[in-house]
Amino acid sequence: MRQTTRLPSMDFKFDLREWWRNFNRKNTYVLSLVIFIVTTVAYLMLQPNAFEEGVLSRLLTSNFRTWLPVILLAIGQTFVMLSGGLDLASGSMVSLFNVIMAISITSNEEPWFNLVIVLGVVGLGLIGGFFNGFLTAYMGLQPMITTFATSFVYSGLALLILPDPWGKIPREYSSVYRITTWFGIPLSLFIIAFILIIWAVIKNRRYGHFLFAVGGKVDAAYYTGIRVTRIKISTYMISGFFSSLAAISYTLLTGSGSATSGAEMTLTSITAAILGGTSMAGGSGSLIGSVFGAIILGTIKNLISLSKMDSWYRLLVNATVIIMALASPGIINLFRRKK
Amino acid sequence: MKSISLNAQFITKKFGGVVALRDGSLDVNSGEVLALVGANGSGKSTLAKIITGVITRDSGEIIFNSEPVVFNNPLAAHIAGVTAVYQELSLVPSMTVAENIWLAHEPLTKIGQVDNRTMVSETRKLLKLFEGTYQSTLRPNAMVDTLPPDEKQIVEILKAISRNPDVLILDEATASLDSRQVECLFSLIKEWKDQNMALIFVSHRMDEIFRIADRAVVLRNGNSVGEVKIAESSETEIVSLMVGHESGLGRAERATLNIADEIALELNDVKTDVLAGVNFSVKKGELVGIGGLRGQGQTDLLHTLFGNKRFDGQITLFGEISTANHPRDAMKKGIALVPGDRATQGLLLIRSIFENLHLPNWQAYGFPLKQKKAESDANRISKTLNMVMASLEAPVTSLSGGNAQKVVIGKWLLRDPKLLLLDDPTKGVDVGTKAEFYNLLDRLCETGTTTLFYSSDEQELIDICPRVLVMQDGFIKADLSGDSLTKANLVSTSMGAGLNATNNKAAVHGF
Repeated sequence: MRQTTRLPSMDFKFDLREWWRNFNRKNTYVLSLVIFIVTTVAYLMLQPNAFEEGVLSRLLTSNFRTWLPVILLAIGQTFVMLSGGLDLASGSMVSLFNVIMAISITSNEEPWFNLVIVLGVVGLGLIGGFFNGFLTAYMGLQPMITTFATSFVYSGLALLILPDPWGKIPREYSSVYRITTWFGIPLSLFIIAFILIIWAVIKNRRYGHFLFAVGGKVDAAYYTGIRVTRIKISTYMISGFFSSLAAISYTLLTGSGSATSGAEMTLTSITAAILGGTSMAGGSGSLIGSVFGAIILGTIKNLISLSKMDSWYRLLVNATVIIMALASPGIINLFRRKK
Repeated sequence: MKSISLNAQFITKKFGGVVALRDGSLDVNSGEVLALVGANGSGKSTLAKIITGVITRDSGEIIFNSEPVVFNNPLAAHIAGVTAVYQELSLVPSMTVAENIWLAHEPLTKIGQVDNRTMVSETRKLLKLFEGTYQSTLRPNAMVDTLPPDEKQIVEILKAISRNPDVLILDEATASLDSRQVECLFSLIKEWKDQNMALIFVSHRMDEIFRIADRAVVLRNGNSVGEVKIAESSETEIVSLMVGHESGLGRAERATLNIADEIALELNDVKTDVLAGVNFSVKKGELVGIGGLRGQGQTDLLHTLFGNKRFDGQITLFGEISTANHPRDAMKKGIALVPGDRATQGLLLIRSIFENLHLPNWQAYGFPLKQKKAESDANRISKTLNMVMASLEAPVTSLSGGNAQKVVIGKWLLRDPKLLLLDDPTKGVDVGTKAEFYNLLDRLCETGTTTLFYSSDEQELIDICPRVLVMQDGFIKADLSGDSLTKANLVSTSMGAGLNATNNKAAVHGF
């Protein structure tokens, strides 16, 4: 450090307003946390005998094993969106991997063979993600259009492999996923917690800082000497990796394969990420927010079925919640300006 | 002490067909400050960016510590010890001051985590270099986008210096700093010089160059045209190097006959966030050039007149006080603006030439639309402007730069503007079209159209405008006309130096 003769100043005054502003900027999930609490409380109140012994644990298990594929996909999507990209191919990758596993996994007497299949799927996820990243980050093509196009490659392959839903995953495997709990907490929640812990570590490593810098202002990141292309490609690979994890959990959940299984998941995962406070423009957001976002979307689905509404209301209510969540920062600004 | 030398030789760079650098050469050694000077578009920034690896050169050689080097990206330059201070370019607005300063070279703990505590305390130490010149809101954990421009610039400087570079390039680093901050920076530069750093100081301000630099390399039209020792040189010498031998000789006497005594436009202490109190008046039918370095408030002035910016002060237009606060109001008063960025502000790129020409004019064709009349008017204007095109229905993207600019001008001419505002309209336009454009300006003046013409090309201003206002820092720095309107005067007043000839400010514009 270069020498200076000036005396240090003691300017460590705590400013509440600045702290709160920074807190919101750093913790973009706050809004999704509030919606999460509201929807969950509503859900538990509508759910009969939710507080009887054992019911809560059962609810946790059955809900989270259904939500996990979308949650995983939303996590992968968050990485891409943080760096300023978008991955519209992640759901189609789920379909493809689901189909591959459905036709190739054999009985539980060949565990090594099955393990190779699963690892192969994870590898394919990384390769598919690299392909998306190469086209968008290295070739400089528009992420939205490019990944939309590659999504047809993946879903087309899925249809080619398995035109009609079929498949038999050994019951022994799927029941491990479906009913394993420790202390009343299901396996899927442990998986989520594990990923969030890993993220908490990575976020504070250089890679995490680079991710936010690339998404925040790509030119600035480049001038600062960050390898922008590599960072971008890596996010697509992470998204592909999470697609493979989502496909594994979805296959274990349903026990079979369908070429359209992931089709709906892409937009749901993006919605979940946005609901969780991740910016489409990149540079701000959090994994925990996306997890909350996915849970909120799942809970709303449950709420509608519990309240005996027609199922087509689901789309309407979903849309309303999303629009309100998206508009809230703008509305707050509007009020501020009026004053 | 380690001795550092950086030597760039015969660097060339083309952007598309435009030559930005023909022969960019400079050398700088440890313990000295080299000033890189030149007029607008002389290639200073291009040369600085090539040295720091932001853009790659076409040919030429950079020799760093007597070894030839290639910096293909900024990272390579950083590793070698060459760093630049950019104008707010390299800060991520959504990250904190500390995160920005230490980005890509964060202090790490033993297990590879970013060491936030060290990062913040080191940032505090760095901020002390500028202690007393910034507000208390500038602290390590403040978000960069909440900071005012001068504090962002300070962060930018600290970011570069945090890497302990051997060669530091300051590209217009003082442009947004106030005088105390500049003082502070200069005393730091002296310290760094004593610590054997090699500094390249790119600036438009003569007085700063003379205060801080040891040598100066002058660029003109992409060529390094000279090198002077500051101690043995004068402002006049540097300006004449920048201007070259082309004096204001070839200037045609433009028609000034039709200028009425009627004042068309009068500005009285007009202030915006950029303009700092602008006063001038323009007579009806007058063609007034606006000069000065880029980004001194010229564009803001034109946009303010066009009702696109809020302002304080008074604008009087044809004897009426203007209250325009929307371009619509300005258009009703007969004002037209040809904006600076053709592609984003001037044209709808996906629509046809015809639709672009009529975009501001549809109202005149009533309801139902008089399509025939609209077409014949569009044909007439395209003939007047001599537009080269396949047909009026062709997409506007099919046109060359010059012809596309004619569409932008044509759409306003269809409205018969009384006051025409031109924001650097000849940028990226070929020579032939420029000549046509100058003739058009003459004709417009003859018909009594008042024109304000901003151009970043000094020669052009000298050639076609009988009177030029020079802007600096949001002020009208000088009002040149008649004998005082020479290229040397234009360049030196742009750079904050005094007039070489008589100061014309108080004089009546000599017609």
